[in-house]
Amino acid sequence: MNTHETQAAQVFLAHHDFVRGVALKYAPWPGLMEDIAQQVFLEFMAKESQWDLSTDARPLLATMTRHIAMRQWRERTRQQPEVVQKLADHIRLLAEEREAPPRYEEEISVLRNCLQKLPEKSRELVELYYYNDISTPQIADQIRMKADTVCRALSRVREKLRECIERSTNQGGPAHA
Amino acid sequence: MPDTDTLIQHYLEGTLTNAEAEELHELLQTQPELGERLLQHFDMDAMLRATKPLVADNIIRPALVPKRRFTFATVTSVAAMAACITLLGTWLMNAALDLRPEAEETTASVAVLTRGVNLEWDSAAITPGTPLSPGWLKLRSGIAQIEFYQGARVLIEGPAELQLVSSGEATCTRGKLSAQVPPQAKGFRINTPKGSIVDLGTEFGLDVSAANEEVHVFKGEVELHQPAVMMKSLKEGQAMAIAGNTAVLTANASSFASLNEIDARSAMSQRFQFEKWLASSSKLNADAALRLRFDFQDDEGSRSLRNHAVNGGQIEDGSIVGASCTTGRWPGKRALEFRNVSDRVRLNIPGETKSLTMAVWVRVNGLDRSFNSLFMSESWGDRKVHWQITRDGKVRLGIAGSNGAHHADHDTPVFFTPERFGRWTHLAVVFDPFTKEVRHYANGELLTRSLLKDTEALKIGMAELGNWNDRRNSGGVAIRHLSGAMDEFALWDRALSDAEIATLVK
Repeated sequence: MNTHETQAAQVFLAHHDFVRGVALKYAPWPGLMEDIAQQVFLEFMAKESQWDLSTDARPLLATMTRHIAMRQWRERTRQQPEVVQKLADHIRLLAEEREAPPRYEEEISVLRNCLQKLPEKSRELVELYYYNDISTPQIADQIRMKADTVCRALSRVREKLRECIERSTNQGGPAHA
Repeated sequence: MPDTDTLIQHYLEGTLTNAEAEELHELLQTQPELGERLLQHFDMDAMLRATKPLVADNIIRPALVPKRRFTFATVTSVAAMAACITLLGTWLMNAALDLRPEAEETTASVAVLTRGVNLEWDSAAITPGTPLSPGWLKLRSGIAQIEFYQGARVLIEGPAELQLVSSGEATCTRGKLSAQVPPQAKGFRINTPKGSIVDLGTEFGLDVSAANEEVHVFKGEVELHQPAVMMKSLKEGQAMAIAGNTAVLTANASSFASLNEIDARSAMSQRFQFEKWLASSSKLNADAALRLRFDFQDDEGSRSLRNHAVNGGQIEDGSIVGASCTTGRWPGKRALEFRNVSDRVRLNIPGETKSLTMAVWVRVNGLDRSFNSLFMSESWGDRKVHWQITRDGKVRLGIAGSNGAHHADHDTPVFFTPERFGRWTHLAVVFDPFTKEVRHYANGELLTRSLLKDTEALKIGMAELGNWNDRRNSGGVAIRHLSGAMDEFALWDRALSDAEIATLVK
């Protein structure tokens, strides 16, 4: 890589979480965020010679991410049955109408600390579902519980983590408090 | 019909049936508050997925490579199924014993550059202390000492080209080298374009040029292997060309660099650098914007650090708590070692500063805590500053918002990987309200720049080097001390340029 390409990659990496946050806002469809971030990276690097890297990259990355997010969201949802498409449309509108800006960047670092504070069982559940890609019916089957119970447990874990993040950021963030 | 939590989970998991999708859609229309709840779960779900590579591997770059979706999905699902039983067994065991396997970090290095004199590289520049992975070292000039992990010690004299193959093997295509091979490293092999030398526990020299290749044995015995030629054995005091005229010659140790020579030259080079640093210190101290500079050269028994900044009038000397004296970048240069939870240097930077630059020479021994302090304002809030290293190796400048406004963290990409531990590193950070950015530097080079949304002046106040004190907290205080050493720290109330930062390192 030449120097400008290296700088471009560094700029993108420094804004990776920002891109993810924008992707979440414009494409609230499960599993799409990373694909969008990858595509933004590829398109950003493909045109790196055009970018003035001495200026703030956020406006550019926000525009690119929004376009790619919309495109990928459309491609992904149009493969779905009509009833699911309507639901996806509704959720996307809700996300776009949300007043608060994306807080992904701030929250992701706080989340890692909050994960450490989870009770053992909850952390194990996060590891099985999120890190080992085991589905809720598979988890339920193995621990002889109902799948709905596993779904509710995951829901509670996410709510606990949300509370922890809110608490931490209200105190100035666990990075500092 | 499943309850709301289950419907949301099915949405996140991508397993909604048509009936469930219809039901969830209807609920969202009739219960507006459910929309926000669903989005919160969606955001959290995405963040949790994003923490996965951080747990398995702190480097995020692989995630940027386009996915091989089908192959990857197939492999992971099959692997997940296969691992399911094991994981559940582990889950039950863990619940009882609290034993959680951690992802171990790995290194590809096979050797380490231990010393160098006047090194100039045609390949990527490396400094003593750098672990070396298999690959080419192209030394333009100078002498480098490399220690292979199997125990062999090799001196190469530039110009030379050496390819590291493994912890017990290298290939030399040009230049002179001498090797000292202890019994533990017996079998150490050096390849050349015309043959290979296998050492049987000895000392030998190798001279590879376009015209000729010669091996000289100073102690012990080596085996000389050539294609289609019977192996030859060379004993102490003997030398031989690897190809062509294979008459036995007399070994000439004086034409190769010796460990004694590198000892002497390395000591001289270090002394020169130290004196150069001492000479440049007075100019640095006179900078009108320099508010604080500790050179750590205070008397060993002293428990304070003198502020050498000529214009640092308001800032008093720092007070050492716990930390002990150690050797700095060069023999004779002092540094302060931070080891324990109590170790710190207390200081006070009164007033406000509109711009800020901080620079430190630091040797990080490990990142044992979530946050590892470099320079931290006491407590938090109202434009205080926290300069620290995160557990995953990012350097962070955290700036608190004023009047309860949200803080901002300015992070570098992962910088401190285990290969960087134990080596002196120069770090600098610039808070520049005019360009509206925070810039991080390592060893004089720009690491990252990020947008500064809030350019309001900073209020550092009471602060600590190498630790953090949360004055607000009457209970336990988070442990954030540095595990490492510092041998120079400076603070300016202006934004230094890229060139000025680079000069600090030279």
